[in-house]
Amino acid sequence: MAEVKVKKEKGVLDPAEVEKRIKELCEQFPQGITDHVIQNDMPHLEPQQRAGAINRLLSLGQLDLLRNSSGLLYRLKDTQGSRALVEKGVRSRDIRFKSNLPLTEINKILKNLESKKLIKAVKSVAVSLNSCRCSRANTLNVLRVLLLLSKIFGSTRLGPGPCLTVEVRVSQVDLSMEDIETILNTLIYDGKVEMTVIVAKEGTAGSVDGQMKLYRGVNSITAPTGLVKTPCGLCPVFDDCHDGGEISPSTCIYLSEWLDF
Amino acid sequence: MTANEVRLCGLLLREHFGEVVEKVGTHLLKNGPETLRTIIHETGMPLDQVKKSLCVLMQQGACTFCSGRKGPGSPAEYCANGDRILRILRYPRYIYTAKTLYGDTGELIIEELLQRGHLTMSETVKTVADRLTQNMEEGRSMDYSEVSSSFSKLVETHFLQRCPPVGVEKKASSSDNPAPPVTNPESAESFPDCYKVPHVTLIGRGKRPLVTEDGEEQRNAKKRKLDAQAHGDEGIYWQVNFERFHLHFRDQTIISAVANKLDQTSSEIVRTMLRMSEVTTAPLAPSTKPLSANEIFRSLPSSYSIQRQILDQYLSLLVDDPMEFVGKAGESGGGMFVVNLHRALANLARATLESVVQERFGSRSARIFRLLLRTRHLEQKQVEDFAMIPAKEAKEMLYTLVSENLVQLQEVPKTPDYAPSRTFYLYTVNQLPTARMLLQNCYKSVGNLIERRLFETKESKRLLEKSQRIEAILASLQASGAEPEQLTEVEEMITAAEKQQLSALRLHVNKLDSAENQVDETIFLLESYIFSTSLTG
Ligand code: SF4
Repeated sequence: MAEVKVKKEKGVLDPAEVEKRIKELCEQFPQGITDHVIQNDMPHLEPQQRAGAINRLLSLGQLDLLRNSSGLLYRLKDTQGSRALVEKGVRSRDIRFKSNLPLTEINKILKNLESKKLIKAVKSVAVSLNSCRCSRANTLNVLRVLLLLSKIFGSTRLGPGPCLTVEVRVSQVDLSMEDIETILNTLIYDGKVEMTVIVAKEGTAGSVDGQMKLYRGVNSITAPTGLVKTPCGLCPVFDDCHDGGEISPSTCIYLSEWLDF
Repeated sequence: MTANEVRLCGLLLREHFGEVVEKVGTHLLKNGPETLRTIIHETGMPLDQVKKSLCVLMQQGACTFCSGRKGPGSPAEYCANGDRILRILRYPRYIYTAKTLYGDTGELIIEELLQRGHLTMSETVKTVADRLTQNMEEGRSMDYSEVSSSFSKLVETHFLQRCPPVGVEKKASSSDNPAPPVTNPESAESFPDCYKVPHVTLIGRGKRPLVTEDGEEQRNAKKRKLDAQAHGDEGIYWQVNFERFHLHFRDQTIISAVANKLDQTSSEIVRTMLRMSEVTTAPLAPSTKPLSANEIFRSLPSSYSIQRQILDQYLSLLVDDPMEFVGKAGESGGGMFVVNLHRALANLARATLESVVQERFGSRSARIFRLLLRTRHLEQKQVEDFAMIPAKEAKEMLYTLVSENLVQLQEVPKTPDYAPSRTFYLYTVNQLPTARMLLQNCYKSVGNLIERRLFETKESKRLLEKSQRIEAILASLQASGAEPEQLTEVEEMITAAEKQQLSALRLHVNKLDSAENQVDETIFLLESYIFSTSLTG
């Protein structure tokens, strides 16, 4: 009796626990873990047991097996596809890519989640101008990356240079030059980015007709102007406000609230 | 003058000079030039009150008179200068600027001159020195010569100027109302500059020994003494040169915009450029005189230790910047550079408009607004596409902007019958008219704020008077060495609730005050922009 107990404690861990531990590890390292990691974490685990546990997880579809230069990598699979949904908003096609679940299944899960009010469907804005169906989520992704890039590099070159490849990969949808320009233009109109056109030698990466467009993130040149710092500058009834009238500065509640703030 | 401006002028006059002056001032603003008789007749006020008000206005330069339109010999007509009255709003900023540039002395000199309209140099120096002495500890005093050197510095930098000689005549004669033949004051105003510098040094030197002599006698002068002694500058009156202050404000705004947009170093470069060209550039020129990179390099403050190559890089960065604050004017001397003053003002005004839209209608509307500013005419469909905003929202935002007059709608009919189905509807933003409209809004907002401030103080008038009385009693008791119990007894006459009310009131008034100054900054920017377009266009 006693012998058996000791053996259990030392050597054979409960397979369920091993699986749980592996999953935890995977969560810790979302980019994937190797055999070594598991080995280091649970040195007492025998190779067969480790292999058994991993195989079970793989067959359950909870783990992904990837191969890279240093050997095999295990990665946790998004069974529900829901993790991808968090905060960003995502297209159902992307969910399918990520989770490897059949489309019908995904639709069912999404419906289910939607009825529970956990997620909601968002119509995507199509850039019909360029007949490119790029969804808002993607747009936002690209924007985020662009802003990031421009913060890092000071200015981002638009063209098939290295920076752009990064963007395209992130957006997962092949965006054409025009699409990206449209997106960048909205950023210009937001006052977040500005564009300079410079002369470039023909053949340089990113040059079109001897021109090259340079983008960079900018700060606004002025703080909010003085007028809009007062209630009157934002007042919805500004035009109806007169001395001694129904709405007047002396009795104005916007001003009172602002003064007591 | 628009109704908003007249209202604001009235409020400013009421606040600074009382209701009587307000009445005369607004009457003149509304009705244009009038003779004394008509003013009395139409306002129904007694002769001496009207006369005194006119005197006050004239002393401030807010009112001029010229011989009647009906030819020589006809009664003089008085006419108010609204722009000058609006300057009252900016007094705090002038005074503050003088303080930062020239210390307490400069502050007091400007303050005296602003309050009194115009003064001779000796009067100013004496008053300021006395006031400074009052604030010093016992036994110390302010030397007149120090004050007068500050004064000459202010004149050298053009912050002060001589009143045109006509103004002097005007003042002397304003007490007896039928005006003597006066030449048109405008002509004198148009060449004040040639009066400025040369005469200053002359006067400064001629007068200084006299003043110091006085200073010796009245070292500890606490009271202002009106000695009839001649100082050699009688009849030479000085006034604050608002234009010069405005140029300074403009430069400051440009510098801080560059600092926001790029960085501190580039703003230092622009500051240096502006400082170098301060004297050589005409006040209203659209850009500064060209400066070579070499010159700029030599004038950079050494504390900044910017290297030559770095300076070149910064300059080309500034030139390439889409805001076009700095332009390139030539290649000689390592490149000639100018500061595009008017372009900068236009860009700053545009940023102001954008920020108004952004704060009032959110960033998506601001996106539409910027889009329209940059692309001129667009159809609704195009707006939706370019701004990447869903049709429904875009429509709503556009219509709000149109109804607020920030965006204009232009119809281009394909057929002459203007049938909606065969008409293009184009949206545009016109920067200049929009700026004008916002300027009016600013006037109204400031008016509202002042109105509210006056209202708040009026509401608590009784309380304010009480607290002032009690403070006076306390001071006199303290001076006579009263018992501490007595003092606390008097102090307790103000209840805790009243105290709270007083502090709330103080808070409110301060908040309104600072808001007024902030709006004035917007006003200044828009005014300068509008003025600059009137010069070029
Ligand atoms: S006083 Fe009040 S009601 Fe009038 S414009 Fe200002 S915020 Fe609006």
